[in-house]
Amino acid sequence: MIAGVLNPVAFARQRFRSWWQARLPLSDTTTLTQRNVYILPTRPGLMLVATLLVLLVASINYQLNLGYLLTFLLAGCAVVGMHVCHATLRGLTMNLAPPEPVFAGQNAPLRIVLTNDRKATRYGIGLAVLDETHEDHWSWTDVPGLGTATVSVAFQPTRRGLHRIPPLTAETRFPLGTFRVWTVWRPAAQVLVYPQPERMPPPLPEGEPRSGTVGTARVALAGEFDGVRAYRRGDPMKLVVWKKAAKSDELVSRDAQQAQRRELWLDFSRAGPLDADGRVARLAAWVLQAEKLGLDYGLRLPGQQIQPDTGEAHKRRCLEALALC
Amino acid sequence: MLTRTAPASPLDRLKALPRDARDTLFLLVVIGWVVLPQVGQLPWWCTLLAAALLVWRGVLALKAAPLPGGRWVLGLLVLTVAATYASHRTLLGRDAGVTLIVVLLALKTLEMRARRDAFVVFFLGFFTMLTNFFFSQSLATAAAMLVGLLGLLTALVNAHMPVGRPPLAQAARTAGWMALLGAPVMAVLFMLFPRIAPLWGIPADGLTGRSGLSSTMRVGNVAQLALEEGIALRIRFEGAVPLPTDLYFRGPVLSQFDGREWRPLLPRMTPGTASLMPPDGLEVGGEAVRYTVTMEPNNRPWLIVLDAASSPPSAPGLDAFTGGELQWMTTRPAIDLLRYTVTSHVQYRAGARGRSAVVAPQYRELPPGTNPRTLQLATDLVRRAPAGAADKPALVRAALDLLRTGGYTYTLDPGLYGDDTADEFWFDRKQGFCEHIASAFVVLMRGMDIPARIVTGYQGGELNGVDGYWVVRNSDAHAWAEVWLAGRGWVRVDPTASVAPGRVGSLARLRPAQNAFASALGNVSPGLLASVRQAWEAVNNGWNQWVLNYTQSKQLDLLKNLGFKSPSWQDLSLVLIGITVAVTLAAIAWAKWERSRQDPWLRLLARVRQRLQQAGVAVGPTSGPRQMAAAVTARFGAEGQALADWLLRLEAQRYARHAPAALPALQREFHRLPWPTPAA
Repeated sequence: MIAGVLNPVAFARQRFRSWWQARLPLSDTTTLTQRNVYILPTRPGLMLVATLLVLLVASINYQLNLGYLLTFLLAGCAVVGMHVCHATLRGLTMNLAPPEPVFAGQNAPLRIVLTNDRKATRYGIGLAVLDETHEDHWSWTDVPGLGTATVSVAFQPTRRGLHRIPPLTAETRFPLGTFRVWTVWRPAAQVLVYPQPERMPPPLPEGEPRSGTVGTARVALAGEFDGVRAYRRGDPMKLVVWKKAAKSDELVSRDAQQAQRRELWLDFSRAGPLDADGRVARLAAWVLQAEKLGLDYGLRLPGQQIQPDTGEAHKRRCLEALALC
Repeated sequence: MLTRTAPASPLDRLKALPRDARDTLFLLVVIGWVVLPQVGQLPWWCTLLAAALLVWRGVLALKAAPLPGGRWVLGLLVLTVAATYASHRTLLGRDAGVTLIVVLLALKTLEMRARRDAFVVFFLGFFTMLTNFFFSQSLATAAAMLVGLLGLLTALVNAHMPVGRPPLAQAARTAGWMALLGAPVMAVLFMLFPRIAPLWGIPADGLTGRSGLSSTMRVGNVAQLALEEGIALRIRFEGAVPLPTDLYFRGPVLSQFDGREWRPLLPRMTPGTASLMPPDGLEVGGEAVRYTVTMEPNNRPWLIVLDAASSPPSAPGLDAFTGGELQWMTTRPAIDLLRYTVTSHVQYRAGARGRSAVVAPQYRELPPGTNPRTLQLATDLVRRAPAGAADKPALVRAALDLLRTGGYTYTLDPGLYGDDTADEFWFDRKQGFCEHIASAFVVLMRGMDIPARIVTGYQGGELNGVDGYWVVRNSDAHAWAEVWLAGRGWVRVDPTASVAPGRVGSLARLRPAQNAFASALGNVSPGLLASVRQAWEAVNNGWNQWVLNYTQSKQLDLLKNLGFKSPSWQDLSLVLIGITVAVTLAAIAWAKWERSRQDPWLRLLARVRQRLQQAGVAVGPTSGPRQMAAAVTARFGAEGQALADWLLRLEAQRYARHAPAALPALQREFHRLPWPTPAA
């Protein structure tokens, strides 16, 4: 509302833009036709019109038939250029590859495959995420005839959760720069945004005794859940703690028995005196840390529990739960 | 032994340049090409400055060095404006404008930081191309500028190919295609765009540097023309061509002499004053000669005609009037190619009878105190004549005899004449060319009390065997005399013919030295040189007739051919608008057609979907044939089997490696399928 008072034109434009974009159908694949490709002259295009007028007046005033020829040939080229410019986008098919999940605050890369079903190359097509600052983030490509080209653009999600991908825009000014031909496309795909991990998280919480087993050989020190011992021949590679090995110049293995005795639970309710987002951030950091150490870990969230496990799929599951909780 | 790698050739190094450097160098070369043709017209400092700036920019591009700061550019700009003012005494008008634009164009390249910043350079470039046409609209200029235009377009297209380092040839191909496709637009607009009169009058500076007959004759003037091979007139005769000795084309008539310079009787003739002048009482006889003159622009008001034309030269929109001394003039100087048709009579008498027989005293006047020896000669000739001062024709003959026998010679290089030109000619130098001879002759005539005047124009001409046009060149410029004799009126006397019989009639010329190439070619085969030149001039004439002389009258002729009864420029606009509307409608129709032109397979699928939805089968807008088949089987069971099979074949047609059925067959089957009836 304040913006509306301060700059009514920009406000109206903003409102119109969001209304208009909301009308666009959601689809991960779009084929550009005359319905969704728009064309307007650019500032240099208007400059060209002014130049043509000056040339025409000069030709009239000095009665230069060659001047007329030059003026009209240029005008003809501009008309052809308009058509070529429109045809550069028209008929192009854009396909968004399913986006990978990202952490909040990171750039979410979007891969878009452009397919050209024409024999001629389409030159100078730029793609960008349609927001206020897309001006500087064009990715340019040529699409070869009867071929495809892949373009990457990125946007930066700020919140965790499931995000709709912002509208994308494609534009071209080829060949003369006198016209801007563009399209706006709302992909249907959503990107999952993991919470931003806490930057300096406290050490992982103490392991809990495995339920139903008796804690026989209690380890004195807290955090001994990741107890390691020297590498013994026959230890599976999986058990080698490479990080520690790199530090100490000798191979160390995770003590499987230790891990079996104690279970690491990352618990929302025990994640420290923070607000909900802070706890989620800390849990995310812990998940990454635990995964890096190759530990088994479980995740307890309000109303949700993920049994201890390890591996990439488990990590994803945990992060996804954190993103959506 | 050490093996040496071959040094990279300049071409290879050029190919290895980074893209920005390559693009900049290309644009600089194109700019140089566009500016080059008018170097002769620019002040020397402008040429030097522009060349230096372009080279500087090129070196910066090669070294990938940063561009100079704005202070440099501003300083150079101020310097340029000052120098332009110093050269032209103004900043407005054509010449100053051209000078400024050329320097601005070169300066702007120094501000061209990114590829996309180059627009101002492009647009200044287009304008610089136009300024070339101020000085020449020849075929060669047109060809050079076409190359320049393609170069600029190539650079522009290249600037909009942001990816990688596309070859310039690719951009050039696109530019060429665009120009080719734009050419019909150009042709239609050129033919139909109404030709308007200059918006703010004829620019006074429109034609400096174009040669032609002068309105005054200072002895020595015509000499410059005589050395110039440029074409003054092109003439197409209908029917017989007059004898070479009759090919006198009349231009300015000069009757007032101040001792140094010959001037027309009325310094400035306008239609208003012309009507006050007595008509010359022109009586014509013999066969009429009809012809069309295409006059090169000369910024002069005279319509050059073959002596003598009794009716005004006619051309649409041409306002011709007579200057009173058998000359024809127009209200507007010929600033562009002018074409008119004339009827002339080689046999004529002028000023013999009626009011015009009273000859104005100006035709006898000589400035007092000049050319005393010539006046003495006149007195001598009168005294020696048998009938004394009474027999004027005999006096004229005596003067011509003197020219023939007195040791006078014709030369294009007579040296500089002093004050009493007639005295110098008759007694001291005894050599000269047409203007010296005619001037001295008329002074002598007036000294003998015979009314006489000088006529300037062209004599002779040359047939171009290729296109049948007679070509009159500036080197055919000539000056002769007319004397008034009682009962005969104004009689043409060409004193030059007495000095150099070859000069008149036989069309032999004193040729200026030819350039080395032409003389080499001439030595090998004189005929070849002539025919090459004739062919070239025929091509040029075609260019003149069809392009440069495409005027409003030709536009209206075109409309007449199209069926308009009395076309006007409004009709032109109508035709133009009509064509625009038609083309737009065609474009819209094409766009609609293209919009509907969907993949036939998808179209067929859409029809299936519609049919099934009508029948109450739930199929989504994105479901494929297989899903539809499943839906059909689920709904209708065995009854829908045929339909489901067909749907699966439809899918296979699209996606199987070896399609079991062709699309047309499937399309035909579509109509025969047992479609389920819509649910009641």
